[in-house]
Amino acid sequence: MLKSTHVPSRPPPVQQPPLPPGWTEHKAPTGHSYYYSAATQQSTYTRPVAQPDTYIPPELHAAAAYRAQNIPNAFSINQPFHGGLVAPPFQQQQHGHSQHSFQSSSRGRGGLGGGHGYQDRRRHPEDRPKKRFEIPGCSPWVLVKTKLGRRFVHNTESGESFWKFPEKVMKGVIEFDRLEREKKTMEGRGDGTGSNDVPLGKREEQSKEGQRDKKGEVDVGAKAAATASEIPLRVESLAGTVPVEDAEDSSDEYEEVEVTDDEEEDGKGPSKRQRTDSAPEDQPVEFNEDDIAYQLAAMGEEHGLDPGEHGDAVGEDWEEGAEGLPLSEEDTAALFRDMLDDHNINPYTTWESLIEGGRIIEDDRYTAPATTKARKEIWSAWTRDRIAQLREQREKQEKKDPRIPYLAFLQKYATPKLYWPEFKRKYKKEAEMRDTKVSDKERERWYREHINRLKLPQSTLRSDLAALLKSLAISTLNRSASMAALPPALLTDIRYLSLTPDIRDPLIELHISTLPPAPVASGLTTEEEEEAARQRKEKERRAKALEQRERRVEEEKRRQERDLSFGRGRLREEEMELQRAMTVGKEGLRTQLGYLEGKDDPPAAKASLDTPV
Amino acid sequence: MPPIRSARTRKPPPDGFEDIEDTLLEFGNKMKDAENASHEGKKRHEVLWPIFQISHQHNMNSGCGWEVRVSWDEVLIGGVVISGSRYVYDLYYEKEAISKQLYDWLLKNGYADASLIAKWKKQGYEKLCCLRCIQTKETNFNSTCICRVPKEQLKENQTIEMRCQEKDPW
Repeated sequence: MLKSTHVPSRPPPVQQPPLPPGWTEHKAPTGHSYYYSAATQQSTYTRPVAQPDTYIPPELHAAAAYRAQNIPNAFSINQPFHGGLVAPPFQQQQHGHSQHSFQSSSRGRGGLGGGHGYQDRRRHPEDRPKKRFEIPGCSPWVLVKTKLGRRFVHNTESGESFWKFPEKVMKGVIEFDRLEREKKTMEGRGDGTGSNDVPLGKREEQSKEGQRDKKGEVDVGAKAAATASEIPLRVESLAGTVPVEDAEDSSDEYEEVEVTDDEEEDGKGPSKRQRTDSAPEDQPVEFNEDDIAYQLAAMGEEHGLDPGEHGDAVGEDWEEGAEGLPLSEEDTAALFRDMLDDHNINPYTTWESLIEGGRIIEDDRYTAPATTKARKEIWSAWTRDRIAQLREQREKQEKKDPRIPYLAFLQKYATPKLYWPEFKRKYKKEAEMRDTKVSDKERERWYREHINRLKLPQSTLRSDLAALLKSLAISTLNRSASMAALPPALLTDIRYLSLTPDIRDPLIELHISTLPPAPVASGLTTEEEEEAARQRKEKERRAKALEQRERRVEEEKRRQERDLSFGRGRLREEEMELQRAMTVGKEGLRTQLGYLEGKDDPPAAKASLDTPV
Repeated sequence: MPPIRSARTRKPPPDGFEDIEDTLLEFGNKMKDAENASHEGKKRHEVLWPIFQISHQHNMNSGCGWEVRVSWDEVLIGGVVISGSRYVYDLYYEKEAISKQLYDWLLKNGYADASLIAKWKKQGYEKLCCLRCIQTKETNFNSTCICRVPKEQLKENQTIEMRCQEKDPW
């Protein structure tokens, strides 16, 4: 399904300061509230306070307002949305973040940096417009590409936007994609990768068919082309449907795009940045993680810190003080083994099927060994040990006689009315009759014997059972024996079968109660118990160590995030300061000039200078 | 006339077979699926690709071993392809998980190829993929398959093209 890419913000704190006069609160369709001032026509997600004690940069304000007015739902719905303001449509880039930090700053965790908690630190993919292209032949329409690679069309005159391309625009988009591809191949020719002399119409078809292959070779631009050729196909099939229905059909594709987003960003960070730089619009500079990291590093250098030190200084102190239990190599191996034990993994399976199953991958302890090779080694060692252990166990426990279930089965179903072949045919599907451990001949013999004995008088059967019980040694049958776990020597005897359970069981119980207790019971020695206790302790220790390591990592991540947002805040402040300084300087000069020239400046020019850029 | 052994009358497999039965069954099912897949529109050699791929996967445990016991024509008419050799070999020789009795029974019943395992026990042949690759009589210059050449002795950028399929697609 197409999920909303909007991250629902936290509910505002319970006690909210009153809104300044003229401001009203509203709910956006996505469920979070925004604030609108009828007087200034501003709207913002951040709650305005009556006496603002912190300086809210006007640019930021404007951007937030802009965002609220135009795309309050952050492209989460598929229906057309109308925008009021149009000219260079989508510009805000870093302000998505700033809003978040503003909201969360009320929750605690450090002033400007704000910082998100560990939980919400994992950012959901946030979509936002990235580039705008003119569509040849349909002048008011522009094609907008979002950060996640989705595309929609926007009418600059009417302010309408559609995920699903209208039919007239569609042709323009196809044309645009063709041109884009052509450009791409021209570049390819420049590199000497070979010429493409296939006629264009044909190539169009080829790209429709073999777009998957292309995706691997060419990067972002070609991907746009590929998705473009996907979209016409979809639209053809859906021609004439309302856009709402489109949500179900196209959701998968969009989902796919969202998933691949992160990897792509990691891999192609630099190239993307370059693109935004070369974009013709005068966008504010976008700061992504790389930039921030770079800035932080630069700041660290300024202060004469070694690379890495500026980030880790706090953490190292912390680590020294509250150092957790060390996690050695044996511990990691043992952790992995613990995990295998806990999941009840069958040691006879293969490593591949284990991985394919995926159960253990979700376990935290899977990450204890660093490499898959190490994991595999531990796995093979573990299987060897485990199999040996299993075999030992099996040898220890008495072998279950395969005849016991068969005899119980006989007791239940055998009647003198059926001959053996009839009985066999009737119950051939039963597991007891199919068991390969008991041969067919034996089965027949047992059946015949049992049937013959059923015809004997009850008194004979009783005396036979009594004789059988007496014949059993005291070590096999004694007072501690229960009816549920009778010795196999008794269970496999034909004399035991002959009587029906309601007569037989009281007889046996009576006999057991007269018996003396078992001769000597050999339990676990103290040494073994000690060993078990030690192992349990070790396991607990390892679990604790892992937990502490995890916590340390979390702490570090949180700290980095904090530093990052702090750095970001500082940067922004500096920027604002710079701008303010520049504006003031010009203004001062102008007023000076105006004073000299007789104070007849046109007021319009003055006003334009007054408004911050 | 020898007694006809049906599923009902056959002797039970040795102890321990229940443990590995599931895995072996899985191998067999996968292979059967590949064998019975439609060959419509495929070339003669393409038909075998999935079979080799599965065979390879099942034997990747400790090397590249996989083998075909039957000739190509036989495979095409539905011959038996053995794919569990490495698994059985590991269980018996590496992990010592199965008894000698069971190992022999597995070999006898075609769960693994005894002649290939015999090669694996020899030095230098530990990772032999199939017997065909060391069959010198089938090649023009009485040589082994290219996959037997150590990597450092191969020429730069020399690709290995084997008759028994690509060697290491991963």
